[in-house]
Amino acid sequence: MKNNNKEVWIGHNDINSPELQEIAKQEFANTVPVVDSMADEKVMESSTNRRDFLKYLGFGLGAATVAASCEIPVKRAIPYVVKPDEIVPGVASYYASSFVRGGDFSSILVKTREGRPIKIEGNSLSPVSHGGTSARAQAAVLDLYNVNRISKPSMPWAELDQEIMKALASSKNIRLVGNTNMSPTAKKAMGEFLAAYPAAKAVNYDAVSASGILEANDASFGMATIPSYHFDKADFIISFGADFLGTWISSEEFQYGYVKNRKVDPKAETPTMSHHTQIESYMSLTGSNADNRIMVRPSEQGSAIKAFYNALKGSSMGSDLNEKARTALEKLAAKVKAASGKVLVVSGSNNVAEQVVVNAINEMLGSYGSTITFDRASNQRQGIDKNILDLVAEMKSGKVDAMIVMDANPAYDLPEASDFAAAMSKVKTSVFMSSVPNETGALCNYTAPTPHFLEAWGDVEPKKGMFSIVQPTISPLFDTRQGEESLLVWASSANLDQTSDQPYYEYLKANWEASMFPMQNNFMSFQSFWDKTLHDGVFTAKASEPAINMVADVNAYLNKISKPGQGEEIVLFETIAMGAGEYADNPWLQELPDPVSRTTWGNYFGIPVSWEGGNSMVTYKDLNQGEYKGNADIVEVSANGIAQNITCIASFGLATDTFSAALGAGRSVVGFAGKNVGTNSMSWLTRDKDGNVQYFNSLDAEPKKTDLVDTEFPCVQYHHTFGITGQEDGKEINVDEKTLMTIGEGFQGGLTDRSIIYQANLSEVNDLKAKIAEKRDFAKHLNDATLYPYEEYNEKYYSQGHHWGMAIDLNACLGCGACQVACVAENNVPVVGKEEVSRHHEMTWLRIDRYFFGDHENPNTVYQPMMCQHCDNAPCENVCPVGATNHSSEGLNQMTYNRCIGTRYCANNCPFKVRRLNWYDYTTADLFGGNEVSVNGEEIPFGADNLTRMVLNPDVTVRSRGVIEKCSFCVQRIQEGKLTAKKEGRALREGDVKPACQTACVTGAITFGDFNNEDGALAKALDSELNYLVLEETNVQSSVHYSAKIVNRDEAIS
Amino acid sequence: MIQRSLIFRILLLLVFLPGATIMAQEANIAEGTTLFKNNCASCHNKNMKDDLTGPALGGVEERWAEYPQEDLYSWIRNSQKLIGEGHPRATQLYNDWNKSVMNSFTQFTDEQIANVLAYIDYQYNFVPEGDETGGPVVAEEEDNSSLFLVIIIGLIGLVLVLMRVASKLNVMVKVEDGEELEPERTLFDVLKSKSMIATFVLIAVVAGGSMMADKAINLGRQQGYMPDQPIKFSHATHAGLNQIDCNYCHDGARRSKHSVIPAANTCMNCHKAIKKGSTYGTAELTKIFASIGFDPKSGTYLEDYENMDVGEIELIFKAWIESQSEEETPEKKAAQVEEEWDAVVASLTNDRKDDFRGPIEWIRIHNLPDHVYFNHAQHVKVGEVDCESCHGKVEEMEVVEQYSPLSMGWCINCHRKTEVQFDGNEYYKSYENYHNQLSAGDRDKVTVEEIGGLECQKCHY
Repeated sequence: MKNNNKEVWIGHNDINSPELQEIAKQEFANTVPVVDSMADEKVMESSTNRRDFLKYLGFGLGAATVAASCEIPVKRAIPYVVKPDEIVPGVASYYASSFVRGGDFSSILVKTREGRPIKIEGNSLSPVSHGGTSARAQAAVLDLYNVNRISKPSMPWAELDQEIMKALASSKNIRLVGNTNMSPTAKKAMGEFLAAYPAAKAVNYDAVSASGILEANDASFGMATIPSYHFDKADFIISFGADFLGTWISSEEFQYGYVKNRKVDPKAETPTMSHHTQIESYMSLTGSNADNRIMVRPSEQGSAIKAFYNALKGSSMGSDLNEKARTALEKLAAKVKAASGKVLVVSGSNNVAEQVVVNAINEMLGSYGSTITFDRASNQRQGIDKNILDLVAEMKSGKVDAMIVMDANPAYDLPEASDFAAAMSKVKTSVFMSSVPNETGALCNYTAPTPHFLEAWGDVEPKKGMFSIVQPTISPLFDTRQGEESLLVWASSANLDQTSDQPYYEYLKANWEASMFPMQNNFMSFQSFWDKTLHDGVFTAKASEPAINMVADVNAYLNKISKPGQGEEIVLFETIAMGAGEYADNPWLQELPDPVSRTTWGNYFGIPVSWEGGNSMVTYKDLNQGEYKGNADIVEVSANGIAQNITCIASFGLATDTFSAALGAGRSVVGFAGKNVGTNSMSWLTRDKDGNVQYFNSLDAEPKKTDLVDTEFPCVQYHHTFGITGQEDGKEINVDEKTLMTIGEGFQGGLTDRSIIYQANLSEVNDLKAKIAEKRDFAKHLNDATLYPYEEYNEKYYSQGHHWGMAIDLNACLGCGACQVACVAENNVPVVGKEEVSRHHEMTWLRIDRYFFGDHENPNTVYQPMMCQHCDNAPCENVCPVGATNHSSEGLNQMTYNRCIGTRYCANNCPFKVRRLNWYDYTTADLFGGNEVSVNGEEIPFGADNLTRMVLNPDVTVRSRGVIEKCSFCVQRIQEGKLTAKKEGRALREGDVKPACQTACVTGAITFGDFNNEDGALAKALDSELNYLVLEETNVQSSVHYSAKIVNRDEAIS
Repeated sequence: MIQRSLIFRILLLLVFLPGATIMAQEANIAEGTTLFKNNCASCHNKNMKDDLTGPALGGVEERWAEYPQEDLYSWIRNSQKLIGEGHPRATQLYNDWNKSVMNSFTQFTDEQIANVLAYIDYQYNFVPEGDETGGPVVAEEEDNSSLFLVIIIGLIGLVLVLMRVASKLNVMVKVEDGEELEPERTLFDVLKSKSMIATFVLIAVVAGGSMMADKAINLGRQQGYMPDQPIKFSHATHAGLNQIDCNYCHDGARRSKHSVIPAANTCMNCHKAIKKGSTYGTAELTKIFASIGFDPKSGTYLEDYENMDVGEIELIFKAWIESQSEEETPEKKAAQVEEEWDAVVASLTNDRKDDFRGPIEWIRIHNLPDHVYFNHAQHVKVGEVDCESCHGKVEEMEVVEQYSPLSMGWCINCHRKTEVQFDGNEYYKSYENYHNQLSAGDRDKVTVEEIGGLECQKCHY
């Protein structure tokens, strides 16, 4: 194994395979389809002669004349009849609300324009989500306008109520099936229902569950809750497979805390940061951000926890863990032992025994009361896996005669989903409550559609005493009724005033008056308390730390931990975008690349890559040799006796004989975006002896290569090739390289040593500073020899008014993708579909480039948000023949769509490759049809209907076919911020202008501001020796600064 | 029209010029104009020839000539008092005008009344029909293009004549030299010569091309667009006569990108009281009532209007129209009711809206392409631009039209000329260089262009 810390790479093809390196040197991949088609003789022979040309010209003129003589269509201006006082058409209103879906939560502000929600922002008052949003929360606004929503109940509400109540009254066993429910008022309503129907019982489960932790905490402390984890207080973070920065329990809260102790102060004599070790089987988002990764096979997870426990204890029990991991864990144990109270150990395991041992480890390291507290216990995962298993058994026996499914999907997301679906036929009365169809809903007799959360009232208590309000921001678009209200109606609740306009709102208010109002003493009247809570969106009550007593016998549990398995294993994981499949019908999330694999539209079978023979990277069984050309092999994989085909992707960071696949794909009953996208890996899940779902399994056989190849492999990052190829002495060479290299190191630094990523270990920060300084000095030296009168422009234009810029801290960027979805929502960026992504036609203005460095088999990762750098000497501007892109006096690289004729010269000349061409009519904005692309086989192009179009930001032009677009630094927000200041007659303040990516980011990785504001946050961020400009040597004078990536890697552990 | 009135005014000035008293008269008329507009114009037509709510006032002094002057004065101050006293003309007038009561103006001095009467007399006798402004008229810049045309045609003629002369002289020289003469070319020969055809083709192409470019540039532009609106809303009455501030109804102009078409409830702020229009009576105002659900007869809003029976609503409004009808016979009244109600329904519905209830769908006049961002607040509030400069004299428009071309060139030209309101707005302090230059006297103003007002992404994003 070679360990080269200086090298940065993207895919396995980048690393020293001579053959592939050769390819990488060429400008174009071996097969260029255009060249192929041009080689066809017939094509070359066909011609357009002069007469044809004249004919077309004549027709064009005629058509233009006809078009010109058309009457301009009459447009109407429709005012309100009675205008609400709080609405000014053209000015956005913001309402505090909460994004809730099962256990996912963000406290949010909803931006509405003329009464329709168009964008979700984080609520900075929230003590849980801290003003951040996840990609899921950002995309939730699109779900509101989902054309596949259920528009009406299966029969009129009155009839439906009558029938259901009659059926319920005669039922002996009623089951309410749902996921985690964090709403205290909904629980009260459910309580009323359960009281009214003594035959009823609630069954909660989570598709990706923390049942193991809940039961372990019950065993350890007698409290079946999830505690608060304080990542900011830990100097050592040890995670056994918990993806806490991505999908585990409360990711935004954890990201916020985690980054606090990860930002490096470059001015400090000895800079410090926390040390994060991840013990896992595949590279998760969290693992990719870790300083050290210890690779174990999925079935070794328990042994790893056991080995770490024993190492801490000092007991020399034999371990069945692989040698390498065991040594690493022992070294880690020795390292953290002394740091008692400053360590946090978490585990994503869903096994009770393993979690009890983790609790014991934390107890040993003094975490309780410091890095783990119970005062704000989390409600974000409540499901107990056993319960749903019991339910399936009851259903099979025909005991259950009525079932109400509340927004859950057990017919898809259980390991025994097919059993559940089959047993549904034995349930006489089944009611489905959800806003969108799913596999379970298709099997139910009745549908009682619920509104989207942006149309509903509600409350959330994600953590004990930390409340958040859900308030509607638009009238229900369809004939829906809140699930809680339905339950109360069926329970004939006396507390629900059915004659009221909004019965559940009254119910909610009454509950708050009775339950939450007494928790505070700031307000004397309920109304003022309620108004304040609605305004802020959050309310936090006091809480105290309960006494903690470790009661469990750890040794008994240590013995329960099972031994590692043999042979090939698969690890099944939740992605930031798809969850357990509940987000599958959101096209924005489908097109959001997975942070690590960079794939979109579906799930892929991760195959390990290894460094063999000391000089080349090989993939498992040499699969996916054509991956970098967009061809991925399809293999047949079998687990639990279920064999399915799945597309491969070569993946770093997989343990030996371990494969990976994401959950939440292959949905069959879902909106068009998710239908049959990817492979349903839910059926490969398994359960342990306690009935808890295990997110790994052993394969029945080695993955079998099929003859099939996925030629539409929608991976957004495997570009390897730059430069122009030519012939020299009969050999193909890279012309750029040759020319530049023959004159020393190369005029612009050459192509071999680019300043894209700077990274170093914490111990080498000073060396890195020196390196960056040296590189930047050299770049300046090169750039001094320019004809570009930068100084003059600077003095004339940029020195006064505004000069916009951005600073990105690569240490704070965790790659979660929230900024990318926020950008899509803010700027009306189109969705292009799988095929188009596979052709690199994705339109995202902001992409997150992922680079690896360090150990070839187990690398570290750096995420680099890359958007238009707004170069003050922009190469794109110089080549535009029509002046469609040019520079503003505020330093913005302006893109003017109505001037653009689509030559793509600018995109070719952009060193950062951030310009996107509308190859097709992705937005259905053209006058003429036929240029649209179909997204996931749908007949009507995405966004062609008026419902979906309601999500568009009216301040941003919808681009049509044939024009280039790119990041505008959210110029609409800049202009809005400036106008607000002007109207108020005051100077522009810090925070008046924040682009969508910045507001979405919980870790503060992105800082936008005015270079001319010397006291601003941007100036502070730029005052660092770790700052650099990407490709500074090209003298493009970009406006986006990056701060180098620092890891706190300990070479001994790994 | 403008020229005619200009000539008329000049003549008027010439007639009145000799006497200083006349100048005083002028001043009186000016004061009378203001008084009339502020106090009388809401009921009396300002052309003095037609009746409005009140009678036409032209020749009022002649009609009151048989009574002492103070009778007319006290009638104007307090008509009810005079009627109470049993003044014969007062009583007759009162009865003739359906016993409608004229407002009292007890605050008027004799001099003020005299001024108003002078204005009435002037307006009645001297101002021609149509010119109701009474304000000064700015002479338009003279258009010299026709003169150029004449000169050019003259010059071309001269060239032709001279060419003819030269060719004749040439022939004579040749005859003198004894050279052989070429057969003389006829006009037809000249016309079908290659060079001539080429010239014609060239002219045709150039003219056609320029015409096409011209037309193409104007594609989608609609300066002068003046569609019929569902309600014959008169800006002349509201903004002109009644001097209602533009921002009262278009309240978005100061705070939003849209100036905002007022909601029907904004109309109701006044029209809850003014239920009958000065021009169209019940015909137009009933449309607002029918849109929002207001029963003008009882002066209350109709409850649960959106769910009311349409027939019931119809009866309410028909009764209202009938009660206000001034037709004499019941048949005529019934006809008027039917006609007006049909018009109400027709104008409040269209192919996409079949219920007259709900919003009034106005025809949008100012249409910018989707890729243009325009913000009223920036111009009205920050730039302090008058509404008039883009929308023209709306207060004189009976039917609103698009005054400006709304072309990009038009925007750009304004941005080039317009000075930024630097003073008093702290925001612009960030433009330090300009402030320094201004205080050093190196520059006298900063235009919108100079702070980036011509850059693409100020309007296109």
